[in-house]
Amino acid sequence: MPERYYQYTLPNGLTLLGEKMPGMQSAAMTLLVPAGAAVDLQGASGTATVLSDLVLRGAGERDSRQLTDYLDSLGLQRSSSAGVHHTRFTAAALAERVIEALPTYLDIVRRPHLPEPGFQAARDLTLQGLEGIEDEPRQKVLIKLRERYFPWPYGRNTMGEPEDLEALTLEICKSQLQKHYHANGSILAIAGNIDFDSFRHEAEKLFGDWPAAPEQPDTTAPAPLGVHHVEHPSEQTHIGLAWPSLEEIHPDYYVLRLAMEVLSGGMSGRLFTEVREKRGLVYNVWAGYTSLKGFGSIMGYAGTSNDRAQATLDTFIDEIYRLSEGVTAAELDRAKIGLKAATIMQGESTSSRSGSIAHDFFMRGRIRTLDEIKKGIDDVKLDQVNQFLKTNKPGPFTIVTVGPKPLKTPCSATCMPCT
Amino acid sequence: MPLTFHHHQLENGLDIIAETNPDSHSIAVGMFVGTGARDEEVIINGVSHFLEHMMFKGSEKYTWEDVNRIFDEMGARYNASTSQEMTAYYANVLPEFTDQAVEHLAHLLRPAIRPGDFTTEKKVILEEIASYLDDPGHRLYEIAMAEHFGTHPLSQSILGSAESVQKLECNQMTQYFTRRYGPGNMVLAATGRVDFPQFIKIAQKFCGSWHRVDAPRHHPQPVHQNRRRTLVDPKLNRQYIMGFTPGPSAQDERRFAASVLADVIGDSEGSRFYWALVDNAIAEEADFGFYPHDRCGSYYLSLICDPDRTDEAIDIALRELEKVKHDLTPDEVERAKNKIASSIVLQGEVPLGRMRAIGGQWIYNKEYRSLEQDLATLMAITPQSLQSLMRDFPFDPMTIVELGPRPAKES
Repeated sequence: MPERYYQYTLPNGLTLLGEKMPGMQSAAMTLLVPAGAAVDLQGASGTATVLSDLVLRGAGERDSRQLTDYLDSLGLQRSSSAGVHHTRFTAAALAERVIEALPTYLDIVRRPHLPEPGFQAARDLTLQGLEGIEDEPRQKVLIKLRERYFPWPYGRNTMGEPEDLEALTLEICKSQLQKHYHANGSILAIAGNIDFDSFRHEAEKLFGDWPAAPEQPDTTAPAPLGVHHVEHPSEQTHIGLAWPSLEEIHPDYYVLRLAMEVLSGGMSGRLFTEVREKRGLVYNVWAGYTSLKGFGSIMGYAGTSNDRAQATLDTFIDEIYRLSEGVTAAELDRAKIGLKAATIMQGESTSSRSGSIAHDFFMRGRIRTLDEIKKGIDDVKLDQVNQFLKTNKPGPFTIVTVGPKPLKTPCSATCMPCT
Repeated sequence: MPLTFHHHQLENGLDIIAETNPDSHSIAVGMFVGTGARDEEVIINGVSHFLEHMMFKGSEKYTWEDVNRIFDEMGARYNASTSQEMTAYYANVLPEFTDQAVEHLAHLLRPAIRPGDFTTEKKVILEEIASYLDDPGHRLYEIAMAEHFGTHPLSQSILGSAESVQKLECNQMTQYFTRRYGPGNMVLAATGRVDFPQFIKIAQKFCGSWHRVDAPRHHPQPVHQNRRRTLVDPKLNRQYIMGFTPGPSAQDERRFAASVLADVIGDSEGSRFYWALVDNAIAEEADFGFYPHDRCGSYYLSLICDPDRTDEAIDIALRELEKVKHDLTPDEVERAKNKIASSIVLQGEVPLGRMRAIGGQWIYNKEYRSLEQDLATLMAITPQSLQSLMRDFPFDPMTIVELGPRPAKES
């Protein structure tokens, strides 16, 4: 691997990743702990989200206020949140400040205080966030879509269900922390103005004795799929749809990404052109690749006035189907340059690079270099894309609408690949 | 980072500025125009934003399909935005596409405004307005700004209302364009790996023939008073509260201190509002921010909470605003400065972020400030600067508007 990149897995299973970015003063850290919403116990959904707040309310030698004041004094731009697979902590600042913060992040994941009042507050805030989603149908439709589309527990709302949160106890949080905040499966990635040797030295010293824990077997239940309407007194009807596609590690991954770029890449993308520019049906319409481990998928969204919602859904689906007829050489060229430029521009931000290398490692077990991504895109040929689109027809669709009235869905759309 | 600033003015008054960085992998280029909702007559409210959309509908030379296709052929990340005071069009491209991107932006800024496109795009604008009606935070922002600024032009909605947009006619837009989009009211800004002499050459070729137009702006002094208003929407679950109070302007030297003060009071983490309202879950969100405008300014407060706890949350927030005048500590000022310094450094590493910063700064002040200058000014701020600022702008008068299911009280 060129010396820009660095990858090393400690004996306890924690993986260290690095990307050295010349010309940068900053560094950004992404710490992923295998304690996402997917490991929340049945009846205790939302635990991972509550924990992602609670662990910051005092850790190691510092109480909640001291901890926050200390991280602020380093000037860290930071976040913590629970995703499906992981709980994620990010921090970005001048490079030396990020390295300085590492011992504190160790405290946060290994020695959090988990105070009872802090637990009550973190749970209350999560419940309030859930209520807030009821006021924002654009967010709600995507949450409901994930619930119907992905198998349980991968599709559930990371914020949990209100009744589960009401019943959640600090003891459950403590036991989940014990079970899932561990070295194996965790990823610590840093990108920016860094020196690998000192980063590795510091990380080994701090995290080297973080215990590993047994992997938990996965239990899943099939997704409900199909068409679903959620009645809501909204101004617009919000449409979410999803269909299965390739995983990121599939050899045709770049072929798929480029095809999706044709569908919904720039403003000359087909969805934008047909649904918005020509017909003026929407302000917002998009479809894009979404990656969960084990499930490559496409998800899309359109929001439109209630009286034009049916026309919007019909055009949306027609355009997706039309992809199977193939794309033109000019469309593919635009898709290639668009995707490549986006990759290069992403390479200018330490925060997005630290997130990307952590994601790559989780999905593929290794970092993709920027050159590898560019080559992957360049190597795709037009006939490959068109062959792919011909043999991989989109569908079956899972469709969720949020609005005053349900819409009619062509029955072929929800059956196995449409003909 | 070896950043260098350059400036050149074309004969028609168009300013061309660049902050070059040979280490960058891309360039960001943007055309900033000193016009927005505050420059609209009431009957054409929404025209600035609608016009921003129409720019992407083609010039005499290009159709809307060409406009989007040409940007996408460069792999550009491009967009535009409209505020009350400024409209900006920008693209982030790889260095080899610089000339094309500048040329294309220049075409974009001389729109044809064809009636057929106008009619289709009106539908999109109406959808955008409808989409914001499903977003209580945005709805409240517009209502609270209107309430706070009263008859001052900053009270005008950026999108306009469905009614005002519906009534808008093509020729009204063309007249507005002619009046406001003069080169003297614009700046072409680039950051990243820019070759400045070449940049001027292309700008001269495509923008040099634009006619000079004066586009003055009216600056009435806003008149504020304490106001409380409750809007009831029984369909909502949460109570949304927004307040505005006067602060320094975009031209005022005290604006740097105002950003630090706002961070001390209401950053999303570690601020006074955080500890008084969010840490204990009285409010789900409690922010206090600084919002500078052209020759006047505001602070805003924004709370989201249970409807039943609205009075409590507002009381606590107002108490904190009083308290900070008396017990500000040097430590909290330092922490806020460090957080802002990090965000300045991080923004400075990305050409798009820097381009927005220098373009906006130029529109407001005809001035360039380097990252180093910004950092030095920031680091020189003391608790005394904040205390003096609070004497000048004591968070009084204040407009507070709430939106949610809670019934309105008799006042």
